[in-house]
Amino acid sequence: MSAVTAPDPATHPGATVASSPSGVVQKAWSIAWPPLAFGLAFVLLWEAAVKGFDLKPYFLPAPSSVIDAFFSNIDNVWSAARVSGTNAFVGLVAGAAVGVALSFALMRFDLLNLLVSPVAVALNAIPIVVIVALFSTMYPSTSEIPRRLMVTIIVNFIVLINVSKGLRQVNRIHLELLRSLAASPSDVLIKARIPNAVPYFFTSLKIAAPTAVITAFVSEYFGGRQNGLGYFIPSNFANSKTAIAWAYVIGACLLGLAFYLISILMEYITQHKRGPAPGGA
Amino acid sequence: MNAQQTNTAHTPVAQTVIVVGVSKVFNVGKPSEVSALTDINLTIEPGEFISLIGPSGCGKSTLLRLIANLIEPTEGAVSVNGKTAAQARVDQDYGMAFQQSGLFDWRTVQKNIELPLELKGWDKSRRAARAQEMLELVKLPEFARHMPWQLSGGMQQRVAIARALSAHPQLLLMDEPFGALDEMTREHMQAELLQICDVTETTVVFVTHSIPEAVYLSDRVVVMSPRPGRITEIIDIDLGRDRDQDTREDDTFYSSITVVREALRRVEDGTAGVRPRSGIDDR
Repeated sequence: MSAVTAPDPATHPGATVASSPSGVVQKAWSIAWPPLAFGLAFVLLWEAAVKGFDLKPYFLPAPSSVIDAFFSNIDNVWSAARVSGTNAFVGLVAGAAVGVALSFALMRFDLLNLLVSPVAVALNAIPIVVIVALFSTMYPSTSEIPRRLMVTIIVNFIVLINVSKGLRQVNRIHLELLRSLAASPSDVLIKARIPNAVPYFFTSLKIAAPTAVITAFVSEYFGGRQNGLGYFIPSNFANSKTAIAWAYVIGACLLGLAFYLISILMEYITQHKRGPAPGGA
Repeated sequence: MNAQQTNTAHTPVAQTVIVVGVSKVFNVGKPSEVSALTDINLTIEPGEFISLIGPSGCGKSTLLRLIANLIEPTEGAVSVNGKTAAQARVDQDYGMAFQQSGLFDWRTVQKNIELPLELKGWDKSRRAARAQEMLELVKLPEFARHMPWQLSGGMQQRVAIARALSAHPQLLLMDEPFGALDEMTREHMQAELLQICDVTETTVVFVTHSIPEAVYLSDRVVVMSPRPGRITEIIDIDLGRDRDQDTREDDTFYSSITVVREALRRVEDGTAGVRPRSGIDDR
């Protein structure tokens, strides 16, 4: 038989993926400048409107006075953000852990799956956060546990739904191949199901991280100690200290952003080798 | 007639695959009950290249999965390498390749090829050495550390073949492995597959829709008909063992294509009678 020498006619696309660091910065800037310009224009318009129409500070403070309030209250904002951030983080970690554990259990026990999955989907669709009021009556009024519990529950369902999907929706050919190789159920779990679920897990974290922060704020609003961003924002508004309230809002935005960035970073670190993500919610 | 003389290294006597009186009914007892295969008899000698061809629904993939023991026959028996099909699967006596390469996209090319060896419990250095050997066999030696998505479709399929052969099975089961490739890549892959099988002395059962593909690759072409799936004819292809790209312009190649096409046409017409059982495997 004559040797077949010609390699594959198609070129190999991996070679074109990498580009220089300066190119990356340039690309990032080209994506970033329109929204940045839009945001800046919006703030300037706001400032002009407050000054031009002489709006009262209790109605709408000027961005300049908000920034002023933010920096003069930075210690208070920071300590409130730490309380809310800790609540969100503890709930996020606990919820992710419970969600992953539960999705393994659902995969293993069909009956449990039959019972829990529809409930999980339903709970994900309703504002279950209000039951934090119920938790608050179960614990001392100074306890952070009700809030963290609330975050845990909400994060748990997001992670549960996504990871369950990842563990179950395995490529049919992978399953046939592993069966043809006489792989045991634990081999199938380790070599196909778990790796398949990893991108689903990070997708769920990306959804869950900002949700955890919001849930923490709302939970703080619903009672307990008066120490988090979720308390200070409404209470300052109620006292007509709108500039300070807005300063806390800035803190809340930064906290939510930080959580989101961390989840994206984690996803990038673990996923970038895999190429275009097949999974996702 | 063909093969046999080269295969003294492995089990010298037993036929590689023996299918006797096999029927397969899906969803037995339900309204959706369907008879996929009826009374299949087929014997495959070591070193043979066999293609299964027929219209959709003729059960050719089902027959392949029965040989692979991915499903159990409703009636009859399948033996592979002188063992039950189930035992042969447990012993990893065959490798398998599918229409989609089915590579694990979180594993490098090398780790994909090592998968069967991992399941056999080979240690790391032995796995790596075998993976490199297989990559050279499929002409991708420099792609060990690439991820599957960085490769073209044809390259991915070659990696899948390397994976199927990494444990050096004597039998390779292929379910339309080149079906998703363009025509030129496909012809390259066919030639390379023949070359690989020549070097490794592998017996192949190959499911395809393509008449030229079946003729070019096979020692025998098994023509099947649907509803219920059965073997209507087995056609010998006398192109010898040394086939290259010129074979595609050979007169025998064309006449064999005609023979297979006419057999398939009889299947379409419904004039392909059920031949007596003794005649089916008569060569």
